Amino acid sequence: MQIDNPTLRVAWNVTKEHPWRIALLFLFIILVIAGALLPPQVLRLIIDTKLVPKTTEGLLSLTLLYLGLLLATNLFDFLKSALLTDYGQRLVSALREAMAEKMRRLPLAYYTSHTPGSITSHYSSDAEQVNSLFSSGLINLLIDLSKIIGIFLSIALFSRLMALVTLLFMAIMFLVTMHFRGALFRVQKVNLAQLGKVNSHISETLANIHTVKAFARESYMEDLYSKRLRDNYETLDQVNFYDSLFPTFVQVLKHGLIAVVILLTCSRSRLLGITLGTLAASIDLVSHLFQPIDLLGQELEKIQEGKSGLARINEFLSEPQEAPKDEHLALRDITPDGSATITFDHLSFHYPDSQELVLKDIDLAIPDKGNLAFIGRTGVGKTTLFRLVLGLMPPSAGKVTYNGVDVFTIPNRLKRHLFGYVEQEFVPVEGDLFEQVRLYDRSISDSDVLEALDFVGLSSLVGKPFHVSGLSQGQKQLFSIARAIVANPPVLLFDEITASLDARTEEHLVHVLFKAASGRTVLAISHRESTMRSARNLVLIQEGRIAGQGTPEKLLARLKGLEAEEGAPEDCR
Amino acid sequence: MGHQPDLRPVQEPERVFSYFQKEWPLVILFSIAGIVFNLGQSVVLVMQGKLIDTVADGSSLPVVLRTTGTLMLMVLFFQGCRYTKRFAIRHWANLTIARMRQEVYDHLVSQSLGELEKEQIGDLMTKAVGDVDISVEGIRKTTTEIFDTGVLMAGYAATLCISSWSITAMCIWWIPLSMFLASRLKSLVALSSRASREQQSRVTGMTFDMAGKTVLLRTASMEEPVLDHYRRELEDLQRKATLASLLESSLGPLYQGVASIGFLFVLFFGGRMVVDGKWSIGSFSSYILLYAAFTVKASKASKLFNAWQKAQVSFGRIRPLLAGHPEEDATIHHPLDPERNLVVSHLSFRYPQEEKWVVRDVSFTARPGEVIGITGPVASGKSTLNIALEGLYPYEGSVKLGGWELRDLSNFERGSFISWQGHQSELLSASIRENVTLGKQGDISQVLRDVAFDKDLERMPDGEATMVGSSGVRLSGGQGQRISLARALWRGSPLILLDDPFGSVDLATERHIIHSIRTHYTRSIIILASHRLAMFPETDQVGFLSKDGRLSMGTHQSQMEDNPLYREMYELQQREEESHANR
Repeated sequence: MQIDNPTLRVAWNVTKEHPWRIALLFLFIILVIAGALLPPQVLRLIIDTKLVPKTTEGLLSLTLLYLGLLLATNLFDFLKSALLTDYGQRLVSALREAMAEKMRRLPLAYYTSHTPGSITSHYSSDAEQVNSLFSSGLINLLIDLSKIIGIFLSIALFSRLMALVTLLFMAIMFLVTMHFRGALFRVQKVNLAQLGKVNSHISETLANIHTVKAFARESYMEDLYSKRLRDNYETLDQVNFYDSLFPTFVQVLKHGLIAVVILLTCSRSRLLGITLGTLAASIDLVSHLFQPIDLLGQELEKIQEGKSGLARINEFLSEPQEAPKDEHLALRDITPDGSATITFDHLSFHYPDSQELVLKDIDLAIPDKGNLAFIGRTGVGKTTLFRLVLGLMPPSAGKVTYNGVDVFTIPNRLKRHLFGYVEQEFVPVEGDLFEQVRLYDRSISDSDVLEALDFVGLSSLVGKPFHVSGLSQGQKQLFSIARAIVANPPVLLFDEITASLDARTEEHLVHVLFKAASGRTVLAISHRESTMRSARNLVLIQEGRIAGQGTPEKLLARLKGLEAEEGAPEDCR
Repeated sequence: MGHQPDLRPVQEPERVFSYFQKEWPLVILFSIAGIVFNLGQSVVLVMQGKLIDTVADGSSLPVVLRTTGTLMLMVLFFQGCRYTKRFAIRHWANLTIARMRQEVYDHLVSQSLGELEKEQIGDLMTKAVGDVDISVEGIRKTTTEIFDTGVLMAGYAATLCISSWSITAMCIWWIPLSMFLASRLKSLVALSSRASREQQSRVTGMTFDMAGKTVLLRTASMEEPVLDHYRRELEDLQRKATLASLLESSLGPLYQGVASIGFLFVLFFGGRMVVDGKWSIGSFSSYILLYAAFTVKASKASKLFNAWQKAQVSFGRIRPLLAGHPEEDATIHHPLDPERNLVVSHLSFRYPQEEKWVVRDVSFTARPGEVIGITGPVASGKSTLNIALEGLYPYEGSVKLGGWELRDLSNFERGSFISWQGHQSELLSASIRENVTLGKQGDISQVLRDVAFDKDLERMPDGEATMVGSSGVRLSGGQGQRISLARALWRGSPLILLDDPFGSVDLATERHIIHSIRTHYTRSIIILASHRLAMFPETDQVGFLSKDGRLSMGTHQSQMEDNPLYREMYELQQREEESHANR
């Protein structure tokens, strides 16, 4: 069965997984509904066949039957809830898993335009809303609707007149409920707006606290707050009015219907077949009629809310994906002998939401074990260049190749063994010291990690209690390097890594960088003069193009000249 | 409805009881209504039974009608009590929420700047608001449940006993048994809830990581292991959440079932009594309904405990914030001496959380009518000198105004003697008038002329009443600055501290403002921190604050002669001004 709606598809899959659970669920639902309708009938039998004729023969068995039905109904209600909860949680879990899998295929651009907070909300509030929609909303709606119909039909079986009267009362109930809900909704809107003002007063106070304190106008602010609280308070009283009146109204209606039913069986106007037992049973049924009607309103609301969560999750699951990678590629196809030649083949790039080219026709070949630094003013596209080298984004034209293989087609699971990417900011992960280097790769042993830590000079941290927050800036960078080399990649990428360090730490770091770079192909981005001078080759990027290539001496002079024209240099330490 | 409540503080605001005490007529009202209603529930059911009996006995129509009428009147009366009870309790709750919020706000606002900055006040405020709501909701629910569960069940039990003590003696025990079961399972429920919540936040953390660390995940080939790990955690969450949810909500029917076992006795023995003629069918049927209602209530008794617990926890968090705050003393105990000089002596200042001394060993004197310009290189602390002179933070050394040491003055006195304009305009969502006067009375047209805002005002149809700030008209940066300048000048305080008031105005306006200040504020000492030096020749003293925090005080002339940095700054600005004018 092909379902287009992604969320519903997930729901259907969960349903298919354990068909017997769902079957049981429906069985219990039917039994619960029956449980609302059968006991009154047994009560009728007890009264009509035993109590009125005043016999006790068979009373015990009927009593036991009544009790048995009550207990069984409670049991079925419990089992129904349990199965429903089970289904709901499975659904939520399946949705979350589907979304996590989706996240792997989303283009990098999605993550720049969507905050982690907004993405996470799909997993939390939206998923819970969908859960509500199905379990508290839809299913309970079904049950309550069935109960109402069932009760109504039972009464109709007793007496058509009673059924008519019941219908009349139900109609009144429904109309008044709608009216109340409408009025309440309007008042709630006003309430929300006022509540917003009350709360914004607090943030406003905080934003202007210095002025408040300077002029000693605390009492003035307090009075302003007071006024907003009082305005809101009046609205709350209106909400209160509706909230308090409605349940009492329902009760009056219920007792009214019971009174009418009793009246109808009065001997003077005794109408066909309404025995005492029928009366008792009818009262029992009617008492249970109004609550489901009230609940219907709530369930409709939950369904309404749930639909918006559903829509949002669908939108997320329908997001366009990145072009698929070539899963057949293996490491030995790309680098059989540990060599790495990086070639930029007429590479151009613009971001999806603009036509302006950030990189224009970059054509460059870096030989195996070559060593190159990209320089240029900030914002000129250097980090973007690295992202293209890493195959994180598709080029707009041209390609970057690794030993001839287009990097964008390389699956992400191979990347660590091909590239060692050292970013400017160290991003910690959950886990201990070893995990920060291993990054969940089970094929990297503890001794591999130790070797890497030793290489960068962090061995002293082993065996001591470890907190990421206790690391210095320099230590964090060393961790980044350890991570990058532990999988022994042929290529290293350094992105502005000495930018925020003091001179001594920088020295040690540069020393480690040199060690790491030997025997590997290295690309670096920097605009620290010291780093620039230590590279063998520099490539100057200006306005998205290669504006020059060569040794440090030649290019640095050019760079300085450019900056003098445009303003003060960035590196003024 | 419609009357505005008095939100002034209660006595002993940190005790829950005080809030009941404050509204004692209301409390008495809902207590009586609550008791009457809940007892009435039993009465109604009994009356219903009587009505059934009139039918069973074949009474005449008028009798039946009369009984029906009585029943309905009773229903209306008791439901009326119920409405009163509900409305009154919620009314009380709304009042209490408003009172507590006011109390929390007042308490927080009365703290000093240093204390506020220490406590991550934004978080504190938001949490406090949430906690107030939870507490009062919890107290309201508990209060409601005391009636709706406590009194009601007492009423039911009493009525059942009265109706037939023998049957009641047999069947009533099942109810406390089911409640006992509920209380036993309560700790289990709490444990599983907590486990579920913890796992939920772990999963959320992982989700957040996955969404925020994409580059690392992809370049370090972490996607697969992370996804595997995530799947396992999701499974764990699913199990824990299901269990917690089950324990929390689905057990209601089970408890009801246990309590319902009592029905066995009711139906069998009660039925026998009807057969033997000892009990009417009506009484029998009301007994059944009463007992049924009793079992339903029993299954919800745990609600009472939960509500109370939640309320306690939340109230515990806000109690320190309800501890009351000092009533402001709005009298001047330290009147300024006739000279009203400002004498600063060896003043040193740093922000409470920081180590660096921004102002170091500064000394100077200023007299009313003087305009003193303070300048220095970028980030040298000019604004901070003004902040130090405000006296809102602790300082070292001495600052005396009109003979009194700043730190000896009360909050009110400082506010009366010193006006301040900061770097940000800090406008409120209120009218222009309110922003200038901050709630005080008086004419503002003169001060608006002084800051050259009168022309801007002419273009605003609502004039002084124009609403500005986040909910009103957006003022330009320069306009906002002039409003906050007007605010600082309006009172004509003995000491007026201004921080870069001319940042967004042109030279002509700057000139106008300086001249207005010199003309109309001769009783005030005006300290002007600025990096724009064009008007500095018009000042009486010029202070240059160097990067190490020291101040060298002189005049514009003396600084031009003796201070090469000052001269360089001034001349550079003069040249820029000229080239700008020549364009």
